[in-house]
Amino acid sequence: MLALAIPIAFALMSLALLLNLWRVVRGPDLPDRILALDTLYINSIALLVLFGIHLDTMIYFEVALLIAMMGFVGTVAVAKYLLRGDIIE
Amino acid sequence: MTLSLIIFLPLLGALLPPLFIRLGRTACAWSAALLAGTALAILLYHSPAVFAGETLVFTQPWLPALGLNFSLRLDGLGLLFALLILGIGLLIILYARYYLSEHDPMGRFYGMLLLFMAAMLGIVLSENLLLLLVFWELTSLSSFLLIGYWKHRSDARQGARMALAITGGGGLAMLAGILLLGHITGSYELSVVLASAELIQAHALYPVTLALILLGAFTKSAQFPFHFWLPHAMAAPTPVSAYLHSATMVKAGVFLLARLFPALSGTELWFFLVAGTGTATLLLGAYHALFKHDLKGLLAYSTVSHLGLITLLFGIGTPLAAVAGVFHIINHATFKASLFMAAGIIDHETGTRDMRRLGGLWRFMPHTATLAMVAAASMAGVPLFNGFLSKEMFFAETLHAGWMGEWSWLLPLLATLAALFSVAYSVRFIHDVFFGTGPRDITRKPHEPPRYMKVPVEVLVALCLLVGILPAWTVAPLLAAAAASTVGAELPYYSLAIWHGFNLPLLMSLIALAGGVILYLLRFRLFALHDRIFPLCDAKAWFECGLARTIAVSHQLTAWLENGSLQRYAMLLVASVLIVIGTSLWGTTLTGPVAMGTVDGVTLTGALVLGVSALATVIWHRRRLAALVLLSVVGLVVSVAFVRFSAPDLALTQLSVEMVTILLLMLALYFLPQHSPAESSTARRWRDGLLAAGAGLSVAALAWGVLTRPLETISGYFLEQSKPGGGGSNVVNVILVDFRGFDTLGEITVLAIAAFGIYALLQGLRLPSPTTDGEGRPWAEDRHPLILSAVSRPLLPLALMVSLYILLRGHNLPGGGFIAGLVTAVALILQYVASGVVWTRERLPFDYIKLTASGVLVATLTGVASWWFAHPFLTSTFEYVQLPLLGKFELASAMVFDVGVYLTVVGSTLLILANLGKLTLVSQPHEETK
Amino acid sequence: METIIEALVALFLLIGAAFALVGSIGLAKLPDFFMRLHGPTKATTLGVGGMIVGSVLYFSTRGEGLSLHELLVTLFLFITAPVSAHMLAKAALHLRLRTVERTRGEGALPRGDAE
Repeated sequence: MLALAIPIAFALMSLALLLNLWRVVRGPDLPDRILALDTLYINSIALLVLFGIHLDTMIYFEVALLIAMMGFVGTVAVAKYLLRGDIIE
Repeated sequence: MTLSLIIFLPLLGALLPPLFIRLGRTACAWSAALLAGTALAILLYHSPAVFAGETLVFTQPWLPALGLNFSLRLDGLGLLFALLILGIGLLIILYARYYLSEHDPMGRFYGMLLLFMAAMLGIVLSENLLLLLVFWELTSLSSFLLIGYWKHRSDARQGARMALAITGGGGLAMLAGILLLGHITGSYELSVVLASAELIQAHALYPVTLALILLGAFTKSAQFPFHFWLPHAMAAPTPVSAYLHSATMVKAGVFLLARLFPALSGTELWFFLVAGTGTATLLLGAYHALFKHDLKGLLAYSTVSHLGLITLLFGIGTPLAAVAGVFHIINHATFKASLFMAAGIIDHETGTRDMRRLGGLWRFMPHTATLAMVAAASMAGVPLFNGFLSKEMFFAETLHAGWMGEWSWLLPLLATLAALFSVAYSVRFIHDVFFGTGPRDITRKPHEPPRYMKVPVEVLVALCLLVGILPAWTVAPLLAAAAASTVGAELPYYSLAIWHGFNLPLLMSLIALAGGVILYLLRFRLFALHDRIFPLCDAKAWFECGLARTIAVSHQLTAWLENGSLQRYAMLLVASVLIVIGTSLWGTTLTGPVAMGTVDGVTLTGALVLGVSALATVIWHRRRLAALVLLSVVGLVVSVAFVRFSAPDLALTQLSVEMVTILLLMLALYFLPQHSPAESSTARRWRDGLLAAGAGLSVAALAWGVLTRPLETISGYFLEQSKPGGGGSNVVNVILVDFRGFDTLGEITVLAIAAFGIYALLQGLRLPSPTTDGEGRPWAEDRHPLILSAVSRPLLPLALMVSLYILLRGHNLPGGGFIAGLVTAVALILQYVASGVVWTRERLPFDYIKLTASGVLVATLTGVASWWFAHPFLTSTFEYVQLPLLGKFELASAMVFDVGVYLTVVGSTLLILANLGKLTLVSQPHEETK
Repeated sequence: METIIEALVALFLLIGAAFALVGSIGLAKLPDFFMRLHGPTKATTLGVGGMIVGSVLYFSTRGEGLSLHELLVTLFLFITAPVSAHMLAKAALHLRLRTVERTRGEGALPRGDAE
């Protein structure tokens, strides 16, 4: 069953990634791009978890965790930049 | 082993006086004297063996692959020089104690003096020529510091720079010469080189080798045409002049002539180069000395002249001439050092060294005058003083010089002429200072110096007399030992008697004495003549002019190559890489034999996302924030790609580095103009586009070529060795902290230095903050959105726990100190972003500078700790320990090293980011963010 | 592995992937920023949630004990996703982004049609 589900899930995720890319490139405004980037981060986490099950290994778990952390800091920092210009004040 | 102590004691001692100065000036001088004295005692302990004809050798391999060994050699010549260095050094230490004023930093003076002493001892005791060169450069450096000791005086700084430029340049030439010598003989060990005279002299490279080595010797010993640095080095304090510029450093050049005498001398080329330079220097120095009004200037030129005399003697090349040369080295050191010290006393007590203002000092300081007179008489070569003996031998040798043919009368004539000038300036030194009218225009009443300031002069003057009157009883054994090891063979018979009967040398002496006195009587007319002829020849002006030109040319060259445009550097770099790759790979087949694998949809999607966002970054590079967002996409996809290709460590590193970079970019973007103007012309865009496409295609082609070929990597070895050799199953981390730990240590040091540099550069920087964004909208009012700061705070412990986890497991699973450090730094930066600098600094009062430094320290100490167990630096060890509850646990010393990496990364990242962020806080009063 | 567990894992993976896709479609399709904000913040979080539940189930039933550390990712995302969305919304309001007529709220006045 898994052998069937995983490729389907991969296909859905790939499609999701492409849609995110479209939004990053299309914009039209900076918040749109940042939102799309944030979505890319989160979808990548899902992709990595899927990849871990696919390869039957937990070694990529930390990468997923780190993407979650870094994605948050990045999004917040860029949003702060839009609001205040100065991210550390 | 004790031989090396002779060098290491003063070297370590260089640290003591700056510490002991807190206990007072006398304690400081004692600390210096104690070490030099101990080194002298060790030397004396070894001396009986040397007098018995032995050569003591001590060898400790250093870099054997390069032929560089820490090997020392104590033979007669080395013993003589070491005795001079340590003996006169001790006297100088005593003298300087009273010479230096209250305002001079004495600890620094003694420290540098001992450093110089160690370097000089290293030269004379080296058995390995490369080692000798190391010490040779060290004398150049330490003498630079000593000459520039009074750093507030511009003449001292100029003199120091000149001395360093000339002796350092000569040192470079000598390096080349010694490398050639090593190439010819196959060894840098003196015992081999000295025994290969025939091989060297028959070799085609002999003339080049000789010229290069002589360049080194001549610059150091202030031989014509490099003599002019020595008079300008007289800006140094007098103890330095007495030590460096009479007895030791300038003798390093003639020492080298003596040291390599058996290997290099005896050819016609040697004779004409060495004797020719020596004669020119002898005459020029003697002539100029007479016309110097400055006491030390006179002595400096006289030193130049006497060094020329010694060089001439070695140039003549006969064993007897070498004996005379060695003898004159001893005599010159004694009388010239005492004369310098006497000049220093006069300067000290009257406040001037100008002979036109001095005079009549006999009435005020008869004791000093007597001492100076004895030394000056020795310098003039008056019978019964030691200078007479070696000068007599010198005259005799000029009569027997070969290779001159019909011109053999010329050398004795020139020698007599030089001696005549030498008598004249000696008489002037005494008469103009102690007799005649004067002193004029001096502010204080001169008197005798402190008692102990005269002791060093008395000792040296006593030696002048003892050697002069009783040569066979005093100096004969030392001279014999030194001369024998100089010549490297049995010495011919020579006599040290004062009276050799009426002969030609005696006649030459008498002519010189009488002529010199007459010359002195005619001095005023000569001064006028000299002033008319010589103002044109100012070597210093030429040197400074040459220096200025060189600097101007290098500025032009730099400006041409390095015009400050990053685009241009990138263009040059990429273009040259393209040329290198293109030319070397042109015509090779692109595709190798390995079959291609299959590709899956996700990977393809990733590649598409990567390509599109990379392209978009380039296209929109002028819309800065949009480009930044696209760049983040690139970074994310690259990290995911690392996971796809089984490199979780790289993915972790890439993610954290990416984030820190993005934060850094945003901090910088704030201060930059909000819009990038379009500056490139169309042609330039085409050029850059073509270059970029070419570079991209080349890299793609290379990757293609590599991936389609069977590849043998070293990873198999590391995979095998990781667990047994490094005690960890994460190969990446084991390589970083263990196999290549030394590289990592260097890298974190560089990181720390870079962080400190950025911190220093940001200090006091005031940048205008933009009040609106790029579209002209004012910024939002809300500094720290409540929801953000409220949520970020509980995230900190969570993030710290994650980073600790990554740090601890790094040795066995993906992670490690570098990644953990970046995660911690990002987590802390989040607090800065969410709650502001002031809030965060109040709660995190770490000093980031200390944090960074402690990281480097921990890593270094981990490396040093392996010395404790007699292993090389950074040898790692690991142990399995059984802990209750946790079970079997593995502890590797490399983990401690990784903690050092972690601390350095956290400290330097925060030091950089927090200080950049702080730039906008200038108007708010708050504590410094360190 | 038992068939039921496997089926459950497969189900959760598909749910997760489907939600991720739906969120992304929303991000791509919806007419203005404030609407687009809904897609990813809700659906993608559920998407990752589904994947994580699948992963916990999968790795916990391999006989190596309970595997719960994936929940850390979920915990992290559940805490941070609203904050990111909040910050982005703040930024969008501050920048007065164009909205369609149906989007209403203080500071988000319709200023003509978005795409």
